[in-house]
Amino acid sequence: STALPSPLNEELQEINQFVGPVEKFFAEEVDSKKIDRDAKIPPETLKGLGDLGLFGMQIPEEYGGLGLSNTMYARLGEIISLDGSIAVTLAAHQAIGLKGILITGTDEQKAKYLPKLASGEHIAAFCLTEPGSGSDAASIQTRATLSEDGKYFLLNGSKVWISNGGLASIFTVFARTEIVEKDGQVKDKITAFIVERDFGGVTHGKPEDKLGIRGSNTCEVHFENTKVPVENVLGEVGGGFKVAMNILNSGRFSMGSASAGMIKKLIEMTAEHACTRKQFNKKLSEFGLIQEKFCFMAVKAYVMESMAYLTAGMMDRPGLPDCSVEAAMVKVFSSEGAWACVSEALQILGGLGYMKDYPYERYLRDSRILLIFEGTNEILRMYIALTGMQHAGKILTDKIKEIKKGNIGLALQELVNKVRDSTGRKVDYGIMEERGGLVHPSLQESGKKLEENVYYFGTTVRGLLTRFGKTIVDEQLALKRVSDIVINLYAMTAAISRASRSISIGLRNHDHDVLLTNIFCSEAYFKNNYALAQLQKYADENLDDYIKKAAKQILEKRAYLCSHPLDRTF
Amino acid sequence: MRLSWARALPLRLWGGCGGPKMRGVTGIEWAARPMCRSSSDAPEPPSDHGSQNIPRDEEQGGPAAFAAALEELERAPGRRLGRLELVAAALAAMPALGVARQLDAYNRLLRLLPRGPWVPRGPLHRLFAPFPRQQECGLQVLEQMERYGVMPDAETRFLLLAVFGPRSRPVRKCQRMLYWLPRMLHANPYPLPAQLPPPGLAAACLGLRRIANDPDARLSVYQPQPEQGDNEGSTQPYIVGIQSAEQQELLARHGPEHPVFVEGPFPLWLRSTRLFYYVLRGDPLPPHLREPPPDPERSLYYPLYLDLDLERGPWDDDEFDVNEVEEGPVFALCMAGTGDQRTLAKWIAGLQQTNPVLGQTPVIFRLGDGDSSAGSPGDGDALHLEGSRAAELEPPEVAWGRRAQGEG
Repeated sequence: STALPSPLNEELQEINQFVGPVEKFFAEEVDSKKIDRDAKIPPETLKGLGDLGLFGMQIPEEYGGLGLSNTMYARLGEIISLDGSIAVTLAAHQAIGLKGILITGTDEQKAKYLPKLASGEHIAAFCLTEPGSGSDAASIQTRATLSEDGKYFLLNGSKVWISNGGLASIFTVFARTEIVEKDGQVKDKITAFIVERDFGGVTHGKPEDKLGIRGSNTCEVHFENTKVPVENVLGEVGGGFKVAMNILNSGRFSMGSASAGMIKKLIEMTAEHACTRKQFNKKLSEFGLIQEKFCFMAVKAYVMESMAYLTAGMMDRPGLPDCSVEAAMVKVFSSEGAWACVSEALQILGGLGYMKDYPYERYLRDSRILLIFEGTNEILRMYIALTGMQHAGKILTDKIKEIKKGNIGLALQELVNKVRDSTGRKVDYGIMEERGGLVHPSLQESGKKLEENVYYFGTTVRGLLTRFGKTIVDEQLALKRVSDIVINLYAMTAAISRASRSISIGLRNHDHDVLLTNIFCSEAYFKNNYALAQLQKYADENLDDYIKKAAKQILEKRAYLCSHPLDRTF
Repeated sequence: MRLSWARALPLRLWGGCGGPKMRGVTGIEWAARPMCRSSSDAPEPPSDHGSQNIPRDEEQGGPAAFAAALEELERAPGRRLGRLELVAAALAAMPALGVARQLDAYNRLLRLLPRGPWVPRGPLHRLFAPFPRQQECGLQVLEQMERYGVMPDAETRFLLLAVFGPRSRPVRKCQRMLYWLPRMLHANPYPLPAQLPPPGLAAACLGLRRIANDPDARLSVYQPQPEQGDNEGSTQPYIVGIQSAEQQELLARHGPEHPVFVEGPFPLWLRSTRLFYYVLRGDPLPPHLREPPPDPERSLYYPLYLDLDLERGPWDDDEFDVNEVEEGPVFALCMAGTGDQRTLAKWIAGLQQTNPVLGQTPVIFRLGDGDSSAGSPGDGDALHLEGSRAAELEPPEVAWGRRAQGEG
């Protein structure tokens, strides 16, 4: 069903039990301003977090963690995001640092490392990035060579921009190893290792001075002849690539609820200000431009939450479903939404928002990193679009094969569909049935828009694949539009299903839910239509060729080309 | 004043065969003109110039002589005759005196013309193409400016308007020049600097940077230029080479089993200097070896290759160009003082330091493949054009004036 997955009553009570103490801790004992100024999290704060069990939220209870599901993890993430540095430290520790052990670790490795990691005694870090290798696995230079007796690996290399690099004692390191394949070929493949600081040879540089999340410790980590026992290999030797991909793809969805939590707090703070400050004998809240900003923030927060919990609910289903594309969509939407909303909130406050006395500038700086880490938004857009294209391409090639084999019926059906598309058709997927449809009738308009967008998106993707085939990998500007549409569609789905549930079971302020959803769906509908128009062949709205031409000329000279407006010729 | 009917005809009416032609003069003769004005039939000027019959010192420099002559003329009272020949002779002398690219000289020359008498007095007057020779004189001035790439400025336009009136041929030409000349001056996306270095290491570096056209390419001097006094073509000629990082990678991937060729010399002209360059290239590899095979474990975040059976549609395929000939990769370029195999072998040895694969790759020298009219590569200045003597271009054709200039 499309209704937002909801936790059972017992689970919900359990979460609410956690939420209280955590909120209290963050309200009283965390001084975000001091952390930002000193660029350091005080050890008492870290100890307090460990006592609350926040270092092992997703570690199973048998190893000493809280054993929370993804949904509950997202719920707690809403509160932890009130301080960006702490949120990033905890995320680097558990969402990527020890996720490797959780997903691919053997029972011995789990039993050895997880208990101390869950209590916060040891902190974990994820070491993948190198100076020459950000997303390119082929340029990883760190090497791990097997010793003669085959008992341990010697690790040599350096990693850069490692969160928790200075605090951590357990590192998940990715290095190149030589493996001999079945046909005798010797290849260089990446392997994942669990490296303890006690193995020796592990040094870290000084913490980087960053724009935001200054409390989080980011530094270089150098490995010099570090002895890693063979038992500490995560997964199999040469299988590090898959491990890295799984780890990176699984931690993203919590950004949605974290951003939503931050925006909800910001709405409270700025509304307080807007409703009290008076200019021209009117409160700020009576001016249309300010009202628009509040609506924008509320809509974004609503949609972010819906998407995040929908994804978390999907991931919590039994069978470990692969929700990496959905998680990527949540990350892209939430990071960009958070940046825009914090900017608007600062704008509402005007000059006060710019001062260091108020927390808005800190939120702005902290939220800028959201667009960059955990996969930059540009790369994730490519990932979303290309994964979808791979899937759609398979279906298309199957259909073409069928037609080539001589299936006249299929060919005729395709022809009829093409004619009906070009003459305008009414799209109906059955969401909005008169009785017993999937969505509440008050969301009828939004549902129709969603259906229409989905159908035309399908035809457009088909057109793109026919035009470009597998070389669509190089058409990044087209893929960007595709992924924007997909993200909007997923957002619309999540918002509509949450609003439908909300109004069907009668939650408080359900009409506000429906209002926000309708606003969002109308905007997203128009944006999608524009993007779809741009993706057609010979579209006037499509400026890709001009953009590429201008960029080529600029990059050739590596400067701005136009003459100064004051230049004369005579 | 003898009015000759031939003089009343415009110059170019019958394809240039109307009107007598006048030979051009060299600069020294024109600069001395104010002293001896015997070319026209007009009576001798009053003897206020008599005191300056002493020939001036001409060796102080062309521009100074020109400026002196102009000052002399500006001081003289207005003479109604001989002005057109004056302007024509001045234009002919300008290149020799080196002032052909100075706008100021042209403006001062135009100031010598009368303002007002040559302006047609109404539309009826304009109908009969008035003052043809005078307008062509103005056109000749503007044509020489155009030839040397000098932009007319507001003062030029003002003078032309005053002398010839609006809607006259010189003013129209000036408007056209103001439109087209900036475009033409900016037409070259890779302009050469105004002062070229003398042929040698510096010119070779400039030439190599022009050919490579890559800001990341690294220029390396393998052997510096011999000191002054050594012969060109001695045992230590200069060797300078250029290579970029992509070329290094291509060479590394080319592999030691495929040979590379040193070809040359190919000529490169920098205005009037000829340089020769040599190319290290290889044959094009078969298609399956050109790019490394797709590695599914290359990118951590998104798939670099889609595993589909779909090719690019014919309407979107811009890659085929019938004029595009497939050439093998070029790995490095060099320019050297002499083009013999020993010098180029030194270049290859120097390249080997950054491209170790050259140690195992067979290098085949195919010299003498380039321009067959190539002289010795050290002789960069084949036409002896750049040097202390200014280039002698033909003076513009000035065909008005009654007598050949040689008489005066």
